Amino acid sequence: MDVSQYLDIFIDETKEHLQNLNEHLLVLEREPENESTINEIFRAAHSLKGMSATMGFTRMQRLTHDMENVLSEIRNGKMKVSSDLVDILFKGLDALEAYLANIQATSSEGEEDNEEIINALNNILKGKKAETATPAEAVKAEATKVEATKVEATKVAGRKENVQQAEAAGDSSKMKFKTIRLEEHEKKAIVKAGMMDLNVIGVTIYLVETCMLKGARAFMINRAIEEHGEIIKLFPSAQDLEDEKYDFDYSAFIITKESPEVIVDAIMKVSEVKEAVADYIKLSDDDIASNTEAIKKEEATAQIKLFTDTGNAKQGQAAAQKTTAKQLTNRSVRVDIDKLDVLMNLVSELIIAKNGLVSRSSEILELQDAAFREHIEYLERVTTNIHEAVMKTRMVPIESVVNRFPRMIRDLSKQLNKEMELYMTGEDTELDRTVIDEIGDPLMHLLRNAADHGLEPSEERKRLGKNPVGSIYLNAYQDGNSVVIEVKDDGGGINIEKIKKVAIQRGVITEEQAQRMEDKDVIDILFRPSFSTSDKVTEVSGRGVGLDVVKTKIESLGGEIEARSKMGEGSSFIIRLPLTLAIIQSLMVVIGGEKYALPLGNIQSIEEIGKDEIKTIQGKEVINLRGNVIPIIRLGNILECASGEQPKDLLIIIVKKGSRLAGMVVDELIGQLEIVYKSIGKYIKGHKIISGATILGNGEIALILDVNSLV
Amino acid sequence: MAASNLKQYIIVYLNSKKYGINIKYIDSIIFMQKITRVPGAQDYFMGVINLRGEVVPVMSLKKRLGLPDEEYGSKARIIIIRPEPQAACVGLVVDQVKEVITLEADSIEKMSYDESDEKAQFNAGIGKVEDDLIDLLNISAITRT
Repeated sequence: MDVSQYLDIFIDETKEHLQNLNEHLLVLEREPENESTINEIFRAAHSLKGMSATMGFTRMQRLTHDMENVLSEIRNGKMKVSSDLVDILFKGLDALEAYLANIQATSSEGEEDNEEIINALNNILKGKKAETATPAEAVKAEATKVEATKVEATKVAGRKENVQQAEAAGDSSKMKFKTIRLEEHEKKAIVKAGMMDLNVIGVTIYLVETCMLKGARAFMINRAIEEHGEIIKLFPSAQDLEDEKYDFDYSAFIITKESPEVIVDAIMKVSEVKEAVADYIKLSDDDIASNTEAIKKEEATAQIKLFTDTGNAKQGQAAAQKTTAKQLTNRSVRVDIDKLDVLMNLVSELIIAKNGLVSRSSEILELQDAAFREHIEYLERVTTNIHEAVMKTRMVPIESVVNRFPRMIRDLSKQLNKEMELYMTGEDTELDRTVIDEIGDPLMHLLRNAADHGLEPSEERKRLGKNPVGSIYLNAYQDGNSVVIEVKDDGGGINIEKIKKVAIQRGVITEEQAQRMEDKDVIDILFRPSFSTSDKVTEVSGRGVGLDVVKTKIESLGGEIEARSKMGEGSSFIIRLPLTLAIIQSLMVVIGGEKYALPLGNIQSIEEIGKDEIKTIQGKEVINLRGNVIPIIRLGNILECASGEQPKDLLIIIVKKGSRLAGMVVDELIGQLEIVYKSIGKYIKGHKIISGATILGNGEIALILDVNSLV
Repeated sequence: MAASNLKQYIIVYLNSKKYGINIKYIDSIIFMQKITRVPGAQDYFMGVINLRGEVVPVMSLKKRLGLPDEEYGSKARIIIIRPEPQAACVGLVVDQVKEVITLEADSIEKMSYDESDEKAQFNAGIGKVEDDLIDLLNISAITRT
C-alpha cells in the first residue's frame, strides 16, 4: 500500500507522541508510582509502534517495541522505575527523534539500528527476569503464541475455571473472550476496578474477511476503545495483532465506566468491522476473595497508594478532558507559511491604499461630508481587523519551542552534577511564526548559561543557606504590543566588580570609566562581541559566552534584551519581542521639515518643556521630569536636518528602553498612524537609527526611526 | 548574424557626455520624482523613492562616477536597475535618456585600467558607434555599494 500520502500526518503525530513521552517520562522519574503517567507513556509508545509499523519504518518499530516491553513490565508492577532506566528510555526517545528527523528529510528512516539502546533495553528485561517473577510469567511474556494454542486446548475447561457467565445470552458462543484465561495480575486489576465501581467488559471483535490491513484495523479499533476506557488485555497479544498474526477476530478486556453496548457502538463505528459482541466480566468468588485480600493487604502496607489511586482517577478524568479538547483544536487547516506571507503582503497593500484614501479625503472639500467620513472610518476598522485576523493566523504558541527545555534542564542537571528545577509559565503566549522559528536557540543559550554559570553548585548553595536545588524560571507573557520572555535563576548573580576588572584589563573600558559606570552599564558590557570572544573573560566572569550572538539575534527580530542582577540573589535576562514585524502602530512626527515615524511601542509620553528647563550636565543636555533626570537627544542634529528656529517650548517624546528613559526632541506632531514596515534594502547604509521606511497615504515615503538605538 | 553577438544599450547623458547601460539590467525608466533623503547614507545616494509600493534607493549616477554633480533638470530620469534577476532594484538618476543602440560584440573594446583605480572599474568597455565613442558602464560594479 502506498502510505506516502500519510507521511505528513505521521510526522506530526509522531512529534506529538514523542513530546508527550518526553514530558511524561520526566514526571515518571519524579513520581515512579504514578500509574496514570505510566499508562499514558505506554499508550504513546504503543501508538508510536503501531504508526511506524503501518508506515513500514521497521527500525523505528523495533526500537519502540523494545521500549514498550520495558514499559509494560513497569506498568504491570514487575519492574521499578530507576533513574538509569529513565536515562535509557530517554536515549531511546532521542534515537526515535533522529529517525523522525531522517524521515522528515528523506522520507526514509535511515540505516541506524541503535543496537546499543535495544541491547540496553533487553538487558533490563533479562536482568529483571533473572531476579524476579514466577517461571510461568516469564514463559508467558516470551511466548504468547504458545499460550494461544494452550488456550485453544483449555477452551472448555477454562470456561468453568476462570470466567463465569454473567448472562445466558444466545450469542455466547461468539463471545470468545469468555474462554480466555486471565493472569493473576489481570484478575487483580479486575477486582480493583470492581472496588472502584468501574465495569470490566470483555469484547470479541470480528472483522470482515476482505479486510486488507488487519494490523492497522485492530490498531484503530483499540484506539476507539481506549476513548472509553483502558484495555487491560488483548488476545491475541497486541504485538500479534499488529503483525496480523490472527484470523479475523480478536478479544479485548476493558476497564470502563461505560456499558457493553457503548463499547460495541464505538467499535462498530470503525469500518470493516463485521460484528462485535461484549459482556460484563465476572470473576469466580474465589478469585474475588483472594484478590480483595491481596489488595487490602497492599493498601494496609502502603496507604499512600490509595491516595495516589484516587488522584490518578482524577488525573484520568483530566486526561480524558484533554483529549476531547484536542479533538476540538484539531479542526484546523494546514496552510503553507508562504501563502500567509502573500496574504500579509496584500493586507499591507490594503492598508496603504486605505491610508491613501484617508489622506485624499481630507484634502478634497467635496468629500468632507459626514456620510463619507463614516464609510472611511468603517473601512479603517475593517482593515485593522483584517490585519489582526491575518496576524493571528500566523501566531504560534511559544509552547512549541519551550517544551523541549524541561528535558534539556534534566540532562544539564546530570551533566553538571547540580540539582536544579525549571519552572515555566505562559507557554501559551503566542508569537509570530517567523519569530518562533528563531527564538529557540537564544533561549536555549540563556537557559544553559543560567544552569551552568548562574546557579552555584549544590554544596555552595547549602553553605549559603539556600535551597540546594536551584531554580530556573522561564516566564513568558504579553505586555501591550510586545511579548516578554524572562529567563531567571536564583543563583549568585552577576559579579559586577569582576566584569569591571576584566573589562579594564582587556582595555574595553578605562579605570576612570569603570568608577563612573552604573551597574546596568557594566552588565551591558557582557553583550559586547569583543567581550565574549575571549575564553579567559568567560571563565572569570562566568558569563558572556555568545551573549552577543543572543543579542544580535533578538535585535534582528526587532526585539531587545536586558540583563538584571542582584548579587547573591540571582540574575534575569529579559527579552522583549514585537508581536508582529510587518505592520506597526506609530507616531508621525516632523523633524526639520521631514516626516518620520516612531514606533508607538517605545513611547512613554509626550512632553512640552520650556527651553530654560534644559540643563547641561557633563556636556549632556538633560531635563528633570517629575523627579527623573532624563537625557535629551536632539533628533534634528542626529538626522542632519536643519531644524529651523528654536521655539520657546520644546516638544519632547519620552521613550523607554528597558528601564532607561530618554527624551527625543521633535519639531511637530502629526498623529498616530498604522504603518507598513518596508526595508530600505541593502544598497543604502544609512544611519543606524533608521530601521526602515514606510509609504504614506499620499505616496510619500517616511523613514521609521529606531529610537532604541540611541537610548 | 547570430543574435548573441548583439548587445543593446541605452544611451544616457551625464553632463552632456554619452554613457551606455546594458539593457538587460534595466527594469524601467521613470520620471524624476520626490526623493526622500536618508540621513547617514553614502553621499552618492540621493535617498529613496516609492516605486509602485516598493521602497527603492536612488543614487546620483554623476556622483557615483565622481563627476561634477550639477542640478538635474527637467529631462532627468530615474533608471531602475535590477543588477541580478532576483536582486532588489536600485535607481540611477541621469540627466537625460537619449536612445537605444545595438552594438556588435566586435565593436566593443575592452579597456585596460589600473586595478586600484576605483572609478575605472565602473567602465565595462568602449562602444564604437560610427565616429562616436561611448563609455559603457559596469553596472554590477556601480551597484556594489
